[in-house]
Amino acid sequence: MKKERTGDNCRPFKLAHQILSLTGISFERRSIIGFVELTIVPLKDNLRYIRLNAKQCRIYRVCLNDQYDANFQYFDPFLDICQADPNTRSLEIFSQYHLAAAQKIDPDHNSGELHVQIPEDAAHLIGEGRGLRIGIEFSLESPQGGLHFVVPEGEGSLVEKSAHMFTYGHSARLWFPCVDSYAEPCTWKLEFTVDESLTAVSCGELVDVVFTPDHRRKTFHYVVNTPACAPNIALAIGPFEAYVDPFMNEFTHYCLPNLMQILKNTVRTLHEAVGFYEETLSTRYPYPCYKQVFVDETEDDATAYTTMSIMSTHLLHSIAIIDQGYISRKAMAQAVAEQFFGCFITMQNWSDLWLAKGIPDYLCALYAKKCFGNNEYRYWIHQELQEVVSYEEQYGGIVLDPWQPPATGARADTKEFYFPVRNVHTMSPRYMEVMRKKSHLVLRMLEQRIGQELLLQVFNKQLSLATQAANTKIGSRLWGQLLLSTNSFVKAIFTVTGKDMAVFVDQWVRTGGHAKFQLTSVFNRKRNTVELEIRQDCVHDRGIRKYVGPLLVQLQELDGTFKHTLQIENTVVKADITCHSKSRRNKKKKIPLCTGEEVDMDLSAMDDSPVLWIRLDPEMSLLRSTVISQPDYQWQYQLRHERDVTAQSEAIDALHNYPESATRKALTDTIENEQTYYKIRCRAAHCLTKVANALISTWAGPPAMLTIFRKMFGSFAAPHIIKQNNFDNLQHYFLQKTIPVAMAGLRNIHGICPPEVVRFLLDLFKYNDNSKNHFSDNYYKAALVDALAATITPVISVLQPGAPITADSLSADTRLVLEEITRVLNLEKVLPCYKNTVSVSCLRAVRRLQQCGHLPSIPTIFRAYAQYGQYIDVRLAAFECLVDFVRVDGKPEDLSYLLTALEGDPDPAVRHGLARLLISNPPFERAQRHRLDTEAVVHRLWNNVNSHLSNDARLRCDLVDLYYTLYGPKRPICVPLPEIQAMMKQMHHKERERLERERERERERERQKELEVKPVIKKEIEDVKYGSEIGHLTESGSIVPPLSESERTGHILPVPISSIKEEDVKVDVTTVHDMPGAVFSDAAKREFTSDNAVALPGIPGTSGPIGFEPGMFRHDITDEMGAPKAKKKKKDKKKHKHKHKHKHSSKDKSSKDKEHKDRSLPPRPPSSTDHLKIKEETRETLSSFSSSQSPSEDVSSMPSNMSF
Amino acid sequence: MTENVEKLESGSDARRRILNIAVSTVLLETGFESADKISLETLTEMLQCFFTEIGNSAKGYCELSGRVEPVLGDVVMAMINMGISIQGLEQYAARPNRHVIQPPQQAPAPRTPSMLSAGSKAKHASHIPFYLPSLPDPHAYIRTPTHKQPVTEYEAIREKAATQKRDIERALTKFLAKTSETHNLFNTEDNQVFPLIACKPTFPAYLPCLLPTDQVFDFDELEYHFQVANRTEDVPAEKKDQSDNEGDNGGDNDNANSSQAESQDLPVNSSPDRNKSGG
Repeated sequence: MKKERTGDNCRPFKLAHQILSLTGISFERRSIIGFVELTIVPLKDNLRYIRLNAKQCRIYRVCLNDQYDANFQYFDPFLDICQADPNTRSLEIFSQYHLAAAQKIDPDHNSGELHVQIPEDAAHLIGEGRGLRIGIEFSLESPQGGLHFVVPEGEGSLVEKSAHMFTYGHSARLWFPCVDSYAEPCTWKLEFTVDESLTAVSCGELVDVVFTPDHRRKTFHYVVNTPACAPNIALAIGPFEAYVDPFMNEFTHYCLPNLMQILKNTVRTLHEAVGFYEETLSTRYPYPCYKQVFVDETEDDATAYTTMSIMSTHLLHSIAIIDQGYISRKAMAQAVAEQFFGCFITMQNWSDLWLAKGIPDYLCALYAKKCFGNNEYRYWIHQELQEVVSYEEQYGGIVLDPWQPPATGARADTKEFYFPVRNVHTMSPRYMEVMRKKSHLVLRMLEQRIGQELLLQVFNKQLSLATQAANTKIGSRLWGQLLLSTNSFVKAIFTVTGKDMAVFVDQWVRTGGHAKFQLTSVFNRKRNTVELEIRQDCVHDRGIRKYVGPLLVQLQELDGTFKHTLQIENTVVKADITCHSKSRRNKKKKIPLCTGEEVDMDLSAMDDSPVLWIRLDPEMSLLRSTVISQPDYQWQYQLRHERDVTAQSEAIDALHNYPESATRKALTDTIENEQTYYKIRCRAAHCLTKVANALISTWAGPPAMLTIFRKMFGSFAAPHIIKQNNFDNLQHYFLQKTIPVAMAGLRNIHGICPPEVVRFLLDLFKYNDNSKNHFSDNYYKAALVDALAATITPVISVLQPGAPITADSLSADTRLVLEEITRVLNLEKVLPCYKNTVSVSCLRAVRRLQQCGHLPSIPTIFRAYAQYGQYIDVRLAAFECLVDFVRVDGKPEDLSYLLTALEGDPDPAVRHGLARLLISNPPFERAQRHRLDTEAVVHRLWNNVNSHLSNDARLRCDLVDLYYTLYGPKRPICVPLPEIQAMMKQMHHKERERLERERERERERERQKELEVKPVIKKEIEDVKYGSEIGHLTESGSIVPPLSESERTGHILPVPISSIKEEDVKVDVTTVHDMPGAVFSDAAKREFTSDNAVALPGIPGTSGPIGFEPGMFRHDITDEMGAPKAKKKKKDKKKHKHKHKHKHSSKDKSSKDKEHKDRSLPPRPPSSTDHLKIKEETRETLSSFSSSQSPSEDVSSMPSNMSF
Repeated sequence: MTENVEKLESGSDARRRILNIAVSTVLLETGFESADKISLETLTEMLQCFFTEIGNSAKGYCELSGRVEPVLGDVVMAMINMGISIQGLEQYAARPNRHVIQPPQQAPAPRTPSMLSAGSKAKHASHIPFYLPSLPDPHAYIRTPTHKQPVTEYEAIREKAATQKRDIERALTKFLAKTSETHNLFNTEDNQVFPLIACKPTFPAYLPCLLPTDQVFDFDELEYHFQVANRTEDVPAEKKDQSDNEGDNGGDNDNANSSQAESQDLPVNSSPDRNKSGG
């Protein structure tokens, strides 16, 4: 057993097959009742424990081979991550616990939340290679992550309201018990019983749709014959309309009602992407079918699962929409690429995430190159490179595979991040994004090293091996071929190409950071050489490392382009490069470019050096940033004559620093040059704005770009009136959108926008005429509003300071601007444009007016637009304005409002988006003693991170990012250390007494409430008619338990023993909460935590609580926090409800031990034998239940399950 | 008619005033310092009757002798006939301390309102004798258009279309702003100047935004436009392409630097990305 421990061999069993059956799917209650059956093949004879993943589910029963009930324990460390150190508020410490928590339940470490203990009498079932079926019954109510119900408010049936639900993210454990690992593929049988009017779309092939006997519901049967791993299983249920792709019949697209037309348009070209991949990889699409489901309120644009993708409905667009088309096509192509790598071939460990993310990106980029052109492709790569570089310089070098140290050289320090990078559930979402981009870049580098042809052959080999393996049964032990790891990838490259890429992998995959080169050059006239100096000065800076190896330098000389490969061995490298060209002889001669073209250039700006420009690493074959020093005219030549978009883009960046008339000319020519790539032209326009502003004192003539714009878009007869819109030429369309915004940035010597520019913009509004256009002008109109907003400069107030701003105090220009903004915003209410782009821009413009003091800074409008029920883009824009408002003039209530939205907004995309907004524009700077920087905020954020968001890993990590932005890795300054706190306590003794009194009163009130709740519960209990524990979740037993299930299980299931027992533990917890002494007493708390600690995996005889609710570990500090009161009360109520129910049940059974326990708490039963005895007794009671099956008895046990 | 009567009255008024002045002057001359209004009026009346009588009879004599306009002799005859001696009249007229009454101001001749004329009257053609009445106003016999010639100037049309559109939009939004709830951008109570129509949550929120109504497109026609009529690529017939962002060729061009030497001479280019590797 010298084999390394990987994700697929760490478990003592293999998964062969899994059945997932969801029966009670209720949109009203947002709940699910289901059953899973895992068929496992043990790898050893003495298997005692099976660890599975399950989160936020309530487990009712675990049954082996339908015969033996197994004991199980449930434990989720994410419910209180820093359990051992509850008072810490430092991210450094949190980070350790966070990783520990993630690994404690990581299936790749053979752990999980659910520990199934194989009973003694079932031991004979275990045998190496003999299949064992584990059936688990579970339910799920109001899921907080992984599963999302979209049930719009208002009248009408579910279908009329387009209510639907879907799974999101790649955490299957959030909605059914499974082995939530990418490294454990198996075949699947999926059954979903839904309302007759709804459609269930899931992975695999649809084999049958069967009506239930009452014809009100139907069951969809899906079968996945190709092994797939649990994280890649997904489900979407809703009143979908289906559209079979006319080009590829195995592709089906689903959309919500009324969207069929735009669906057809959106998916029009998808078959091309599939064709491209099949051709490029020379492999057939690996699955028999593919489904795209477009749903509302997704977190991401597209998420790929086995044979299906869940896409955002916001990707849909009609044929008249331009901008969205690019995004949608890319997203869909990406999702298809992930079918090959990421779904069909998955990763072996988290360490191989970079392959699972990078390869689809790489393939998608190849498709984008074909589809959108080489310029777009190179521009994209360049953008990604810059993004990676800037992220790494801010946060630290990203190591793609941090598990295995590079063979040579010291291990890169992975501790530099404030979050653990070794588990996907603890990584910052931003980090994931950038890592994905870096993975793509590294794969592209690999392509350059070994050639595209060969790299594709490697992919092809992986795919064909996997295809072979997928057709075999589990017994063949070939399913490992479906997994890809860094090592196996390197091996495959070696087999195919004979090249050993280990050094490359060490350098770029197992080491973080990028290279940074500074280049200076001097021309030596005597020797006719260029003396280059390449330095790597910042190798010790964050995210930057030393590069050793070849580096390509490209010189454009008068006689042509010359490439030189320099060997970089040190931080300073000097090289003399002999010029091929003699100095200029004043001959009129065309200059050859690297493309072979010959062009005329105006060489008057040059000195006697024959070098026109120098580039470093032009093909982006390294992860690097470059700082090239060359004179302004060389940059100008580069911009004008270099054909590569990346070079042009870099030249534009550099020319910001050279405001002079030659730069102006070069930029103007670039904007006008029809041969130039449109994005470069747009960037040149923005650069020209800056240059013009710097040159303002000497600027002559009309404002920059006005002439260009009139020439291009002015009508023939009257150049000051814009032509009727015609976006058939898309280059011009993008310029038409960009130039007004760029012009709006112009400022005259007084620092305000020149009045003629404002007039020009207002005229654009006035004369905008889209009646003859084939495209919608919504993005153009939005750009015009953006332009108006960009003209606004801080108000020069004639008012008394402090006087209220009224409509009369506006300046004339502002008045016009505001009039225009209100008009278009109002018009959007009647005639909404696509995605409300205009409203989005208007909100930003209003905020801009507020920022500049033209309007009073009030958040009411933004709050209205941020409500649930507005379009998502509008909501996010409104939140953006609110975040900015909070930063500038927010009160604690305003921040609290945002945090409430962050915690409880119904739309996961908004929660995530808002978190990112708060991070990019934090409400206060770190340690500035800002008025919003209060202890309550710290605790509130901390509690979210520590326990409340246990089921939403992504948002949790978002909040960790936010916490880091606000407080850094250490303890926040506004929260004093405990020692200091102790001193304070003394001082505030009286204060404490007062609090205690208050608490006393609160308890009194709670007791009152409890009394009130009583009758309600009784009623509920009467309602329940079903003998099965599933029944109690359904409303008044209206849902018939599915036939299949009862067939399978044979008899109706008794309540699991442990559930009752766990119940007691739970009662302990609540009691502790209510104990007067527990408020500040750490001792009590410790005890309570240690109780749970006993429930850690692998310790027999004890058991942790069966179900947890996020926040149940909430310490009483929360009372002082800004958390919304209503929510809390609800929770309290719930608890009490439960408590009462429990009493009710204990009354029924009148089991003495329970009372004993209640009394004896907080101290637990002293000896474990005592404990066991209790357990035995309970078991007896239960077994009598299962035989008698009287409803009342079942009821008595049910609520105890229910309350978790 | 009424106008004429008024005119007459005003004329007789003026005459009577002169007579009144004359009587008063004579009275002053004679030595009176004041006179009752009524006696003055009586005297004036008498004088007027006297003059009327003289006039009438002078006219009689004049007509008797076959003339149309009376001469001095007629007046003399009339006075003699009335038994008034004209002896010494001359001396009386030239008496030394007589008062001279200001000659009455020439009343402005009441203008006869001209006929409403339209256009300028045309002169007689050469074949029409001059003594025939002049031609009537041109509108009586010339066809005039009942509407103005539309403006064909591009600028004005655009201006007008823009104004019209804006007016409609403004009226519509104003109406809605008045009839529905609004947001206020200011802290003030009244919200008349820049009212913002309040936003209402809609469920599902994506529907109106994904199926916008700001413009009406005929999608079938657009599809035809992009897919069939306006194709610029040499794509095999079975390969339909999406119009708005379709690249035209395989572009597996490893030499990025050649990418921009492309052919941009297509008259209608439907892709911004088309300026890639055509060459």
